[in-house]
Amino acid sequence: MADSDEEYVGDVTEDEDDLQVTRGDNPRAKRKQRGGAEWELSRTWETLVEGADGTINSTVEGLLEAGKRKRLLKDTTPLQRGIIRHLILILDLSQSMSEKDLRPTRYLLTLRYAQEFVREFFEQNPISQLGVLGLRDGLALRVSDMSGNPTEHLAAIQALKTQDPKGLPSLQNGLEMARGALFHTPSHGTREVLFIYGSLLSSDPGDIHQTIDTLINDKIRVGIVGLAAQVAICRELCTKTNGGDETAYGVALNEQHFRELMMDVTTPPAAYSAKESASSLLMMGFPSRTVESHPSLCACHSKPSRGGYLCSRCNSKVCNLPAECPSCGLTLILSTHLARSYHHLFPLINWVEVPWRRASRSSACFACGLFFPSVPLEDHWHMAENQTKGMSVSSRYECTACRNHFCIDCDLFAHEVVHNCPGCQSKSTPTHSDAAKPAPGRMDIMA
Amino acid sequence: MNSVDASEHYELGATDLSPSLLTIIIDTNPHAWALLEDSLPLSKAIANILVFINAHLACNYANEVAVVASHSQKAAWLYPSHNAPRGPSADHDGDVAMNGATDAQLPETNKYRPFRLVEEQVTRNLKELMDSTTGDDLRGNMSTMLAGALTLALSHTNRRTLAWAEEHGGANAEDTAAEGNGNGGTATTRYSASNEDERLQSRILVISVSGSTDAAHQYIPVMNSIFACQRLSIPIDVCKLSGDAVFLQQASDATRGIYMALTEPRGLLQYLMMAFLPDQRSRRHLVLPTRVDVDFRAACFCHRRVVDVGFVCSICLSIFCEPPPGGDCMTCGTHLEICDNAKPALLPRKKKKKKRVNGASGTGTPMSTPTPGP
Repeated sequence: MADSDEEYVGDVTEDEDDLQVTRGDNPRAKRKQRGGAEWELSRTWETLVEGADGTINSTVEGLLEAGKRKRLLKDTTPLQRGIIRHLILILDLSQSMSEKDLRPTRYLLTLRYAQEFVREFFEQNPISQLGVLGLRDGLALRVSDMSGNPTEHLAAIQALKTQDPKGLPSLQNGLEMARGALFHTPSHGTREVLFIYGSLLSSDPGDIHQTIDTLINDKIRVGIVGLAAQVAICRELCTKTNGGDETAYGVALNEQHFRELMMDVTTPPAAYSAKESASSLLMMGFPSRTVESHPSLCACHSKPSRGGYLCSRCNSKVCNLPAECPSCGLTLILSTHLARSYHHLFPLINWVEVPWRRASRSSACFACGLFFPSVPLEDHWHMAENQTKGMSVSSRYECTACRNHFCIDCDLFAHEVVHNCPGCQSKSTPTHSDAAKPAPGRMDIMA
Repeated sequence: MNSVDASEHYELGATDLSPSLLTIIIDTNPHAWALLEDSLPLSKAIANILVFINAHLACNYANEVAVVASHSQKAAWLYPSHNAPRGPSADHDGDVAMNGATDAQLPETNKYRPFRLVEEQVTRNLKELMDSTTGDDLRGNMSTMLAGALTLALSHTNRRTLAWAEEHGGANAEDTAAEGNGNGGTATTRYSASNEDERLQSRILVISVSGSTDAAHQYIPVMNSIFACQRLSIPIDVCKLSGDAVFLQQASDATRGIYMALTEPRGLLQYLMMAFLPDQRSRRHLVLPTRVDVDFRAACFCHRRVVDVGFVCSICLSIFCEPPPGGDCMTCGTHLEICDNAKPALLPRKKKKKKRVNGASGTGTPMSTPTPGP
């Protein structure tokens, strides 16, 4: 990967500049005209430009890097986010899911991604609740109940693999059941529904528009990942329940896109207005761990175990956290679970691209030591200008706080996994005036 | 590795060969080492650690090591040193020796080269680090840059894992294919913890001397690093020479690492060899020294009291020991209602029943759905 980065800069700049330009502009213009159907007309072959050595390696590497970077550039303004979420995942289990356009079948792929989704969801939202429903034979069926325990959901979804998709789906039934499941949830959390919908129709018992109105009243947001094509009612449903925002409805172009659409939902949503979720103080217990000399039954599963956590109010033993105490209903949690959500509240700022002009300051990535391509002569600089937006010509990315340069992999790693800047954390903050900019937010919470 | 019998080779599979990467974070906070001067001076500790590193490198010819210093005002690489000038023969093939720069005249030419490289670089860089530390840096600065060191260690681990996966494309290609067809190399970027046996086995060892009392402002970054380790299934082992580190206890507990507080620091090498040398695969077969009483205390943000039942702001997740005065969160300033898991009142439930009735009557009416209206 490293050596090809070097090639890329040299190669692409030398030849067909104009092709690069068309690639950058066309899809965007089309998207505006055709309402999201740009894949019908995108000329993927035009994006492949032969390098000087006659291969397309360099372009492919460049496209990969651009893709990585595109996913990274998200809004990093600290928002109020709904950290405590209640989400119902509704899977389409109707006959249209047996199509094989997504391999192996829509059904199996959906189930696999659903399992990954559950894992990722609890990774990102440790104090949230999830439930799973299915749509089959015109009915909504309960796959797993609302709970904060991922293993239950995983087992329930796994059990679906042996069954076959059949019948027609009913959006309305699914929505009504989800509304029922979310009815009891406290008002400080979000209420969300995510559909994975492979059909182009919905066989409903009544007027779905009424259901949509009740959803709006109940402040339930609906997101849909379509697998076939855009459906008008789905679009309307998402737009209306998200306050006019259309982005909650996405139609998967391919497996990778499907996955991305689903995984996007794992990020806690921004709270639109203070009204939507009444903020409140929650009473929570921080239990201590206990290890007993003789096994005793836990209150949650009635299984004998020696280790566990004692509820701080009623001393019942639960075996896993986070959980709700089965006897007194207190939310039991570790402070580390809360800490897990802090990176959503204090996101790491985006790093900026480094033009050749400033590239000579560094020869290697600050974090991992990967060598950057060396700075070319000055008259080669302008050739590299017309590249994909968001991609650095010099393969360097700079943190604006600590001014260190990083490679694309570290950029991705820092923003997606660690949520720390290696540079800012490696210098003591008081001595560094620039680094103080993001720091106040971090300090505040501890102060 | 030179297994002559082919069938045996297939049975064992590639798992036996996957090397491990050990990243050692040495807390070089001069204050804390000064306190330890009588029992274990830093020089002796470094000598012990170097022996330990050599033992690790000797376990498997492909094993790798990295050393980060978590100093009082910055975190710095001791080995491999990234800032060294690019060597003439520096290739990107993922050579174990990251730095090709060698000094020509050396007395110990008979030493195994990887041992010598590590030893030279660690001692040289540590000396540079200590020389660059001025009295001003130390005054009023008692903490150590643990968050930075952990982040650097993780970045390096990530780079080596990617490089290793690229070199040993076979196992990873299958993984990529399973992740979703045709998505190229991007699958690895989701950092799933699947097929642990076929990846580079990485672990982090923290040799800690400072207390964590000053580290409150590092809480979030340290926690972020710990969660990243948890996600990548990288255990954090902690060898505690002095002081008390709540974060590190939680780190080793969350990542299933080993936590040991040494009662007798002079026996450092013995502890290192016996407890910290085995890699993840061997650990499955061993009874490991674990710590039972992990400190999970939550301190409230208002009085720093340790609480077992607290109030949490639903917006910023700050912890309070009692409802804050006026009902305003002290961190984010939101006005908060106090809620004791209140279940919905009777009135909304009635309302819902009404709707249900409406819905039921709606079932009776046939599919007279109007045209998709506004």
